[in-house]
Amino acid sequence: MSGDLAVQVRGLRKAFEDVVAVDGLDLEVGTGEIMGLVGPDGAGKTTTLRMLCGILLPDAGEVRVAGHDAVRDPEEVKARIGYVPQRFSLHRDLTVNENIAYLADLYTVPPGTWTARREELLEITQMAPFRDRLAAALSGGMRQKLSLICALIHRPQVLLLDEPTTGVDPLSRRDFWQILYDLPRQGVTMLLCTPYMDEAARCNRVAFLHQGQILRQDTPAALRESIHSRIFEVRCRPQHLAREMLKRLPLVEGVEVFGDRLHVTLRPEAAPAEAWRALREAGVGELAPREVEPSLEDVFVAMGGEVENRKSEVGNGEDGESGGTGVSPILPSGEPPPPRTGETPVPPGGK
Amino acid sequence: MALAVEVSNLVKRFGDFTAVDGISFSVSKGEVFGFLGPNGAGKSTTIRMLCGLLLPTSGEARIAEHDIYRETELIRRSIGYMPQFFSLYPDLTVRENIEFYAGMYEVPRARARERVEELSGRLGLEGLLDRMTRTLSTGWRQRAALATALVHQPPLAFLDEPTSGVDPVTRRQFWEFIDDLAREGTTVFVTTHVMDEAEHCTRLVIMHDGAIIAEGTPEEMRTRYVQNMVEVQAAPLWEALEALQASPLVREAALFGDALHVQLREEVVDPAEAVRQALGEAGVAVEAAECIPPTMEDVFVALARGGEEAVREASP
Amino acid sequence: MNRRRMMAVARAEWIHIRRDPRSLVVILILPVFMLLLYGYGINYDLDRIPFAVWNLDGTQVSRDLIDEFRQNRYFDLRESVLEQRRIEELLDERKVVFVLVVPPDLGGTVGAGRPAEVQFVLDGSDTTRASVALGYIEGVLNDFSGQLQAQWANRQGTQVAAPFTVYPTILYNPDLRSRPFIVPGLIAVLLTLLAGLLTSTCIVREREWGSFETLIASPAAAGEIVLGKLIPYIVIAFANVVLSIVVGWVVFGVVPLGSMALLLTASMVYMAASLGIGLFFSAVSRSQQMAILFAVLLTFLPTILLSGFVFPLRSMPTIIAAIAQIIPATHFLVIIRSLYLKGAGLEILWPQLLVLAGFAVVIVVVAAGRFRKRL
Repeated sequence: MSGDLAVQVRGLRKAFEDVVAVDGLDLEVGTGEIMGLVGPDGAGKTTTLRMLCGILLPDAGEVRVAGHDAVRDPEEVKARIGYVPQRFSLHRDLTVNENIAYLADLYTVPPGTWTARREELLEITQMAPFRDRLAAALSGGMRQKLSLICALIHRPQVLLLDEPTTGVDPLSRRDFWQILYDLPRQGVTMLLCTPYMDEAARCNRVAFLHQGQILRQDTPAALRESIHSRIFEVRCRPQHLAREMLKRLPLVEGVEVFGDRLHVTLRPEAAPAEAWRALREAGVGELAPREVEPSLEDVFVAMGGEVENRKSEVGNGEDGESGGTGVSPILPSGEPPPPRTGETPVPPGGK
Repeated sequence: MALAVEVSNLVKRFGDFTAVDGISFSVSKGEVFGFLGPNGAGKSTTIRMLCGLLLPTSGEARIAEHDIYRETELIRRSIGYMPQFFSLYPDLTVRENIEFYAGMYEVPRARARERVEELSGRLGLEGLLDRMTRTLSTGWRQRAALATALVHQPPLAFLDEPTSGVDPVTRRQFWEFIDDLAREGTTVFVTTHVMDEAEHCTRLVIMHDGAIIAEGTPEEMRTRYVQNMVEVQAAPLWEALEALQASPLVREAALFGDALHVQLREEVVDPAEAVRQALGEAGVAVEAAECIPPTMEDVFVALARGGEEAVREASP
Repeated sequence: MNRRRMMAVARAEWIHIRRDPRSLVVILILPVFMLLLYGYGINYDLDRIPFAVWNLDGTQVSRDLIDEFRQNRYFDLRESVLEQRRIEELLDERKVVFVLVVPPDLGGTVGAGRPAEVQFVLDGSDTTRASVALGYIEGVLNDFSGQLQAQWANRQGTQVAAPFTVYPTILYNPDLRSRPFIVPGLIAVLLTLLAGLLTSTCIVREREWGSFETLIASPAAAGEIVLGKLIPYIVIAFANVVLSIVVGWVVFGVVPLGSMALLLTASMVYMAASLGIGLFFSAVSRSQQMAILFAVLLTFLPTILLSGFVFPLRSMPTIIAAIAQIIPATHFLVIIRSLYLKGAGLEILWPQLLVLAGFAVVIVVVAAGRFRKRL
């Protein structure tokens, strides 16, 4: 295996009872890369990350993280990685400083080095004034920043982040990224699961995960260029009528509301003028359509449509899933539940 | 226009900590009212008071024309509340959860069944009605929670971070659903940390440290509070970010997607040029720097940071 | 085994205990409270046993016999029965524990030097009370026959010693008071309960609170985690052991005759074993309720019922007695009772101590082995 790869996954598989959460996943992340892992709820992101950390045993497949086999030598991997789980996973009855010291001890960071690191991290995240506050008394944003500090206190080679900014306000999110963005320069590799496409856009590469497999991975720019549909921003009065009407047009792929504007996605072959003419004929006032660059979110939505098309070609129920009709485009029923400690029964693999 | 929510001088103290510090605002019927603010600003505390779950320390509030102190039972009947954290019974199926709450709100059995069909159709829950709630992933739980909160067709819905942890496609569907609800006459009171979503609201307030620091339509918010915004494309981006954060002309510089959003101080006359100059001095290659209207996120951060600075100045 | 990681786990656990003052109060006060409650409550000694007499004789001898009982502080004569039916009534209504029936012509029989018989009708529905009463009765009768024999020999002008005279020399607890027997046992049982409550939730709790994921994603080894969790509770257990001994001493006047150092050492070895059992359940359970249930059903009940605390091991069927041998409390009860009542030393008690120490080591190793650093 190549020494340049910080994460190398081949044929990874994990099923919980009858639900296949990860289904033959292949993934490579180069050293110093920021890799974004995105996908619909229940696509298998959390399960994948847990197997990379060596805390969940895969049913099949090879996992190498930071140069070690996560299945055979999980402890070697654990010593070299930092992990921020989705659910707050520090001690609520310990203060910020105590939690950091706890982690520094667990990773046996030499006492001389981690205190300086702690000060630096507390400073960047604006957490220094709260160092003696109990974790239980921190706001959601501050808790996540503390989790990040704790995951970095031993200077890991690879950092695995599971939706670290979910429920975090934009201000804390900026503080959070202030640290993340600095890490690749220090040679730290990052694998980040996120539901926010603006965060995915900051990654070197983004992988779209769906039903436990990676559908496509590329740079954000290449992914955006892969969208051939054109997107127009348009103001309409009355807006909801325009929305309903546009949705019915065969040349329109999708309509999304952005405040007082609509984002209208037209099929690649469609002539935009046709759409606006249809609007005017229906008596909807329309103002200055403006073509906009597709965002990564548009890519995400388009991928969902693609999956749906592929499914309808394959036919219903072939993969043993029933009742998938009528559910949102990207998500058939029978989504594998990402197990969350304490909330769902832990899968039998844990025994 | 009749008011769905009317709040004046509402205060909540926990011991010597003031979570909500005399806020006043009102929400008209049929609005999608966005209630924004950093974590810990007092949003959830406020919502709990408005839902009659928490008694205010002082102040007045009327919810759906009922008094918050004396008529909490009537308030609870006229609202739907979707809390921030998962609050369904994990060992009941989605259908059983929805029907349980229908029972709590005395929705007739036949009507409840109709509502289950209707809501699950609109929220795409049909295939999952008989799944145990604990086996659902976050996005599906949120849908189930939303259906539960709305089963009795309340005229007023409080949704506390409904899209938290939800993927982009689902998020779009949620907001389409919320838009429809409002058009059908339901007043929606919603919190979110995703500033794109705030654009869906008819009106917004931003709360900070227990006080309301800004109020208006999304349009007003974007034009009123923040000037001198520049979007920058540069390589390498982190060097540009560092250089700009070090510049005395810059109020705030941060990543925005794969670009930088830079807010310059008010006295800067040509912001784009100032940015180019600062980056030139630092030896960073600028691909593009243009003045842009601020996004909601820029506004939020500027206001919240301003609030923080004000607080910091106040306490030595 | 890395000491720093182990101590990190121990420190976090210690802070957790300290930051939850209510639980700390419960941990320290509850055993003392229960010791007071049950120490006063459980008492096998019977005072002023109510009894009745049906005297069919009427001679001096029978009056002397009855007086012997009346003057004894352990007995309380309630009634002189005149007909047989009344005996059953009294026993049915639980007004007396036994009825002494003196046969006709007792005086004549005794005067002739023939063996005499008296009858005691006992209420056997309360086995403990009946057997204690019977013991007292035998004591009184032994005394009385001794006196009679002496009188009879006197009258014959000879000195005829009775073939056997029982002079019970009761060692260790000469008054056969039950408190010195009960209190040490009670201390052992309460310490067991406490140990189970302390550790049965301490690992599984992290699962429920979410901090488990960070812990198992760190390089800390299972042994370090289990031992780290054990350390703070060993300290707390020591405080409880000392408190219990002090309460036993000050309140009940029960003082160990043996070495205090040995008592403390043995108690701590026992606590390590009991805490280890709690840890084991904590390591293998998925929820706190399950862990507590395990701890109560599988350790606490056997400790009370099978260890010899309530029922003597000798009266158990062989299989049950064998099972009792794998309960640590069985061995600790031998140690603590021997130390309190007999003042035995290490030269006698080393086998039990060794068993307990072995048990402690094995259970901690097993707990660490069963602890999986996986979800």
